[in-house]
Amino acid sequence: MDFIRTTSMEHTLSVLEAYGSAATLLAGGTDVFAQLPRGELTPGVLVHIMPVPGLSSVVLEGGAISIGALASHRRIAVDGALGGFGSLRQAAAQIGGWQTQAVGTIGGNVCNASPAADLLPPLLIHDARVALVSASRGERSLPVSDFVKGRHATAREADELVTSFLLEPPGTHTADIYLKVGRRSAMEVAILGLALRLTLDDRGRVAQARVATCAASPCPMRITAVEEILQGEELSADLIAEAGQSLRSSLSPIDDVRGSAAYRLAVAPRLLARAIEQTKVQIMLANSG
Amino acid sequence: MTNIGSDLPRADGWDKVAGKSQYTVDYSESGMLHGCVLRSPVVCGRIVRVDVEAARSMPGVRAVVTATNVGNGRAGMLVRDQTLFADREIRHHGEAIAAVAADTLAQARAARDAIELEAESLPALTTMAQALASDAPLVHPDWESYALNPMAAELRRQGNVAGELIADPDGVDEAFERAHLVVEDEFCVDRQYQAYLEPMSAVARFTDGRCIVRTGSQFPYNIREELAAYLDVRLSDVRVIGQTVGGGFGAKLGCGTEGYAAVLSRAVGGRSVRVVKTRDEDIVTAPVRENAELRIRTALDAEGNMTAREFSCDMDCGAYGLETPTFPSILFHFAAGIYRIGPVRVHARAVYTNTPPTGAFRGVNGPAVYFAVERHMDNIARRLNEDPMAFRARHMLRDGDTLLNGQALADAHIAREACEAVQKSLPAVGARQSGDRLRGVGSATGFWVTNPLPGSVTITVGEDGRLHVLTGANDNGSGAVAMGLTQIVAEAMGVSTGEVIVGLPDTDLSGYDSGSQGSRTTHIVGKAALIAIDDLKTRIFDVARQMLPPGANELELVGGMVRAVGIGDAQVPLAAVFQMANFSNVSLSGSGTYATTPPAFTPGCAVGLTMPSLLTPTYHAHRAEVEVDSVTGNVRLLRYVVAQEVGRAINPDGIMGQIQGGIAQGIGFTLTENLRLVDGRYLERSLEAYRLPLAQDLPRVEVVLLEHPDSEGPFGAKGVAEPPLVFAPAAIANAVSDAVGKPFYKLPITPEDVLFALDT
Repeated sequence: MDFIRTTSMEHTLSVLEAYGSAATLLAGGTDVFAQLPRGELTPGVLVHIMPVPGLSSVVLEGGAISIGALASHRRIAVDGALGGFGSLRQAAAQIGGWQTQAVGTIGGNVCNASPAADLLPPLLIHDARVALVSASRGERSLPVSDFVKGRHATAREADELVTSFLLEPPGTHTADIYLKVGRRSAMEVAILGLALRLTLDDRGRVAQARVATCAASPCPMRITAVEEILQGEELSADLIAEAGQSLRSSLSPIDDVRGSAAYRLAVAPRLLARAIEQTKVQIMLANSG
Repeated sequence: MTNIGSDLPRADGWDKVAGKSQYTVDYSESGMLHGCVLRSPVVCGRIVRVDVEAARSMPGVRAVVTATNVGNGRAGMLVRDQTLFADREIRHHGEAIAAVAADTLAQARAARDAIELEAESLPALTTMAQALASDAPLVHPDWESYALNPMAAELRRQGNVAGELIADPDGVDEAFERAHLVVEDEFCVDRQYQAYLEPMSAVARFTDGRCIVRTGSQFPYNIREELAAYLDVRLSDVRVIGQTVGGGFGAKLGCGTEGYAAVLSRAVGGRSVRVVKTRDEDIVTAPVRENAELRIRTALDAEGNMTAREFSCDMDCGAYGLETPTFPSILFHFAAGIYRIGPVRVHARAVYTNTPPTGAFRGVNGPAVYFAVERHMDNIARRLNEDPMAFRARHMLRDGDTLLNGQALADAHIAREACEAVQKSLPAVGARQSGDRLRGVGSATGFWVTNPLPGSVTITVGEDGRLHVLTGANDNGSGAVAMGLTQIVAEAMGVSTGEVIVGLPDTDLSGYDSGSQGSRTTHIVGKAALIAIDDLKTRIFDVARQMLPPGANELELVGGMVRAVGIGDAQVPLAAVFQMANFSNVSLSGSGTYATTPPAFTPGCAVGLTMPSLLTPTYHAHRAEVEVDSVTGNVRLLRYVVAQEVGRAINPDGIMGQIQGGIAQGIGFTLTENLRLVDGRYLERSLEAYRLPLAQDLPRVEVVLLEHPDSEGPFGAKGVAEPPLVFAPAAIANAVSDAVGKPFYKLPITPEDVLFALDT
């Protein structure tokens, strides 16, 4: 296995063009260095892209937020520019431990496309887009929901580099949240993760709801059935119960070493109810202030 | 008195924090080779063929050994039922098949992977129920031929039962017939991994025909005994030199890697070989805490007095016995808890299965027994509609009451004192429910024991007056040597702790020691040191009298000086006393050996009883407040209060550390640590899957130390290290049961268990 350290975008793209699928990109290494010894990755060359400049910033671009693919989880958790994306910051702050957060990147978390990827539910509820570039075909972007194709599978071509994630700021009367279920208070791969973005109208009815989960299906996904139940309705106990039932039937969790499918299904409606309650309080507090 | 009861920094603390301590993995010798072990992927089977030819011819490979090259020496803590490598039978997943030594670790591993193992899988006994079935095959068909160590003389064995205890006093059936109420509970606990920081490791070489092994073992003298048995050499032809121990918690009492390093070194003509387990290998092969099933029935009369009890327990030895066959005897002593109960019938068995062996883990067997006994007490109190602590107080043993072995418990009132202390600190819970979170409080109380086995110390005055302490005791990380022994010696010799140098154990040089186990080191080795100092002081004073003015009869040691009491300021430094002694044919060295004298007990109180009495008891009460998240089923400790009787606190800070650490392991055993067997293999085989509690998961433990100096212990000290873990599972499980309003009978209590209990 060879090791190449790239120091510029051009350098990286030319290496990717040369090696194609034999290359594995290495950023913070939090997934790569777990998968290499288990034999889950057998790259011909490891391409270390951490030194590439300009890929770790969080910037406003014409009203939208652009997060560089090499932005660390810690950076995302604390960057003031991401104030409107509480769920993303909460998810980043709950990945692994502090050491993992210091080196792990958003690009790595998304491109690894783990069923339990913490950052994906928040990116999905914010309709984030992912930007890619290749030496031969130039730039393109697509929604994260199209980018993640399945368990550890993405739409990234072998010669492409993910450069950034674009998020449109949410409107008013909106709050978002990410809730993670784990056995411990840190260092956990999610047993279940749920992100909710809720917008209420003047009369307290649901103007828009977006729900996404991780660790309960082959890859993180939006739960549109639940969104449709909530849409336009008043947040009564009956409605929340109905949404919870819908969420249960939308998920296809498995039994694994972390938790059983039955447990995940038992937690999911409760977690949704907690998320609704907490975002509702956030919106009310914002309005009263 | 400045050294006793003081929070002095530990002698080895700075180097450990700064990463300077030399553990076995940091230690190397010139020309050292690297070894690794091929382990069985099969749970139970018969070896058809082990082909090592390809491996032998690989680059850098110096030796490949299997059962056929190393002989069939058997060793074991109690029953010598274990060989270094599986010979024909494979009895558990992870059993050693072969070992390789090569110039580099990568070469050794490549060669190991090239060994061809052909094994025929056989039906495995992966549960105790399977192993106890009347038609079950025997895990050890030759069990009757195995040699027993002296400690195992009373062991009762039969087929797959590696150790059985039966106590059947008169009057049990009659009491149950007359009972007003019978309360019956069944409990089970799963396995727990010791999870020390330093995976098992050893470096071995042969010099002048003798085997020299360096290892961070808790019990170097036992390593020597086991190695001599495996290698089939005289005991004294093995020399074990202690290294800094990176934690052990009981797992490093017997051979882990030492035997493989030794046979590989012998195979390569004596060159040094280092063997270090990987973490995943360590998890699969560590002598983890045993899984157990426990059943308790208690008969009560119309006044709510407990008139009799039946207690039965099966515990899983795994494929080899290690320490586990003696655990039924430990269970016997605690089967009644610390309560007045009529006659107690006990039937406890340690059972061989085709699973990785279990063994000693801090508080051996205690966490499971007290979990059952103290959960059962809560259940009885609930049935009687009594407050659990009031019920306990009403039935607690009183001073002079006897235990199940007939031994009198002189200080039983201290447990009552401990219970009062934790209740005062943590009164009943206020609001039981706040939003979607539930709160509860639970307690546990009882007594524990200080291991009585012998230890020895030699103390020598050096040329500059400093004190060199030679002992076979190794500090397993608890501070028992670095704080306990060091402070005891300093105090008795009238010097500061900086004047006391304690070396690492070396079986060629130091006297015998029974290992850092059973909370014994401070108590036993500290006492041996005081005996040594009595001897040494006589010699020092005899020489010093010649150097002091006439009339200096009564002497004392103060600040590194020998001082004449009552004669002005006449004194002479220890260094000068050494010089005088050196030319007066006097050795300024003193030695002491100590083991606790067993108290009287009733012979015949049980059969199969390997430990007839309980020595140097200590008394404890724990009280926990928990918060249960009804959305996730997660349990968080809000407060944790401990009242622990310690005899005399030599270093209170050190004891606080032991208590905080023990509670952390108790929280793990009760809530987060799953080590599940599925068809004979662990499901959790890495520290990612095996969830140790994290710093954020731990409460700030509040401690009340109760001091009732022991007449025999050094400055009154008793054992302190194990009990924090022994009582934590019961207290936490009682608190969770209280919060949820449903009883929990199984450890660990997972979020799934909690959620499903809330739903039903």
